[in-house]
Amino acid sequence: MSRVRHPLRRLAPVAWHSTLVVVVIAMVFPVVWALLTSFKPANDIYSIAPFSAEPTLDNYARVLADWPVVTLLGNTFVMAAGVAVGQIVIAVLGAYALVHFSPRSRGPILVLVTISLAIPPQALIIPQFLMTARLGWLNTDAGLIVPQLGTCALAVLLLVQHVEALPRSLTSAARLDGATPFEVLWHIVLPGLRPAIAAVAILVFITTWNEYLWPLLVSPRAEDTTVQIGLTQFQTAEGNDYGGLLAAATLTSIPIIVVYLFASRRITDAFLQSGIK
Amino acid sequence: MSTITPSTPARAAARTGSAELRLEALTKSYGGTIALDAVDLHIPAGSLTVIVGPSGCGKSTILRVLSGLETATSGDVYVDDVAVTGQAAGDRDVAMVFQDYALYPHMTVEQNISFRMRLRARHDRRSGPSRADIARQVRDVTGLLGLDELLRRKPAQLSGGQRQRVALARAIVHRPQVLLLDEPLSALDAQLRASARTELLRLHREIESTMVLVTHDQHEALSMATHLVVMDKGRVAQSGTAEELFRRPGSEFVAAFVGSPAMNFADTPSGRVGWRATDARILGDAERAGEGFAVEGVVDVVEFTGDCRHLLCRAGSSTFTIVQRDGEAGMRTGDIVRAVVPDSLLHHFDQNGNRTHD
Repeated sequence: MSRVRHPLRRLAPVAWHSTLVVVVIAMVFPVVWALLTSFKPANDIYSIAPFSAEPTLDNYARVLADWPVVTLLGNTFVMAAGVAVGQIVIAVLGAYALVHFSPRSRGPILVLVTISLAIPPQALIIPQFLMTARLGWLNTDAGLIVPQLGTCALAVLLLVQHVEALPRSLTSAARLDGATPFEVLWHIVLPGLRPAIAAVAILVFITTWNEYLWPLLVSPRAEDTTVQIGLTQFQTAEGNDYGGLLAAATLTSIPIIVVYLFASRRITDAFLQSGIK
Repeated sequence: MSTITPSTPARAAARTGSAELRLEALTKSYGGTIALDAVDLHIPAGSLTVIVGPSGCGKSTILRVLSGLETATSGDVYVDDVAVTGQAAGDRDVAMVFQDYALYPHMTVEQNISFRMRLRARHDRRSGPSRADIARQVRDVTGLLGLDELLRRKPAQLSGGQRQRVALARAIVHRPQVLLLDEPLSALDAQLRASARTELLRLHREIESTMVLVTHDQHEALSMATHLVVMDKGRVAQSGTAEELFRRPGSEFVAAFVGSPAMNFADTPSGRVGWRATDARILGDAERAGEGFAVEGVVDVVEFTGDCRHLLCRAGSSTFTIVQRDGEAGMRTGDIVRAVVPDSLLHHFDQNGNRTHD
């Protein structure tokens, strides 16, 4: 005999899903509206109708002609890729050293690393800016990238978990085979970390791509800056050209959406495996 | 499953020297816990030495110290009278097979086996092995272990038995003087374990290197060892041939650990005695005990093992086990069993559990 369920019980999943649908709509609506608006001619911008009677690519043409979008995307890509690669190098070396070479100091060091996550970035930004300025790195790639390598705590913590999950016997076997510590890292640990490294790299890449405050401070010059800053400069320069602005915003989102489409699975997997959700 | 049937050149190539190992006052502690407590141990050259003991007795730690993966807290390790205590793992002529086999998952069987030699070639371009050397040695060992068909496979595509043989191949390909095996059979199912045991014994005969095998399975230990070491709480309880340890256990611990069913113990006015379940003769109804140690109890459980029955008996608050062979009167639960153990087969122990008399 199956138990008779209270009729309200059956409604619970319905209520849950309805709530989620509302939340998703609330989150997706502005994005979709921006996308739709970017195809509207200037006189339809303020119209409530989602689709214009005369959709146009004028906004895109204008943006591509007047705005150095390729340069800005290039700058942003160099920054995001540089930070991702740099953080991975630091985090891999750190995680490997912590797990395999410092059994005693690992605990305290990991606590410090975790604490560093709690320091608000705003508290660090003035000293970091002063140092960057004194190094003469304003308006350079180095100024955009190097200071952002310090905030690699999350990458370190994630990779420590994955290095720990590799069987100890693998590294022991490699040592018995005569591998130096670096060879153990290169031939045994790195191949085992490949999925985790991909996930962390993509995560850092996306976060850095969306970074606003730091590029605004160290690289404000129009031709050296990133798309995020470029967008505000576009807005300031073009006044109330919302069609153009939203076209520009759509263009700058495309790379990150592409990256995410390819990578979302890996990112979720890496977080699930490490037990951090 | 293929068995080891090497061609003649493979056999010749696989031959290797063997080394004698010696541990002197070896202590290993992790923080406050002592894993090895001043262990003195001699492992004869060319032997198949089996180290056996309950979990946590330090047997795996001995392997890790012998291999150089762990450094001893104090004491020394000698290979053929040369102290290697401070030597790095890769510099010792020692190979190891891990309990989980530790095959490099992203490398093929061939790459797994040749990894050590490829590293050597890279480290030392002049005196390291050439590509042809590596290929030849890999061929020799895969022929010896019947892995020729599997060279291009990844470990994930292999069965448990195949993985074990790849791990063995990787360990012996450079003909080490000493081969360490950490519970190499425990990951296999019971049927495979029996044939793998036979293969290991054959392999020992073929390559002639000193083998040190660690296990918690006393049956495996007794059946394979040319030299048997029983460990307890970080110390060597006794070492010698399997037969010596079985016939003349030096302590109650060894007596209870080695042999199945476990030895029976009883307290008598003259001290504590032990006797093996197979050494008691069950008496007929009218038969008198005569000379020897007499036992009497009630049959509690009867276990049929195929060629004999194990009678688990109760006598007051204590229990004992007797093996009943064919031809002796069939016993059932509730029957009273009387038996006698000849004095010559009794083992006497003092209060500390050490063997007394002879």
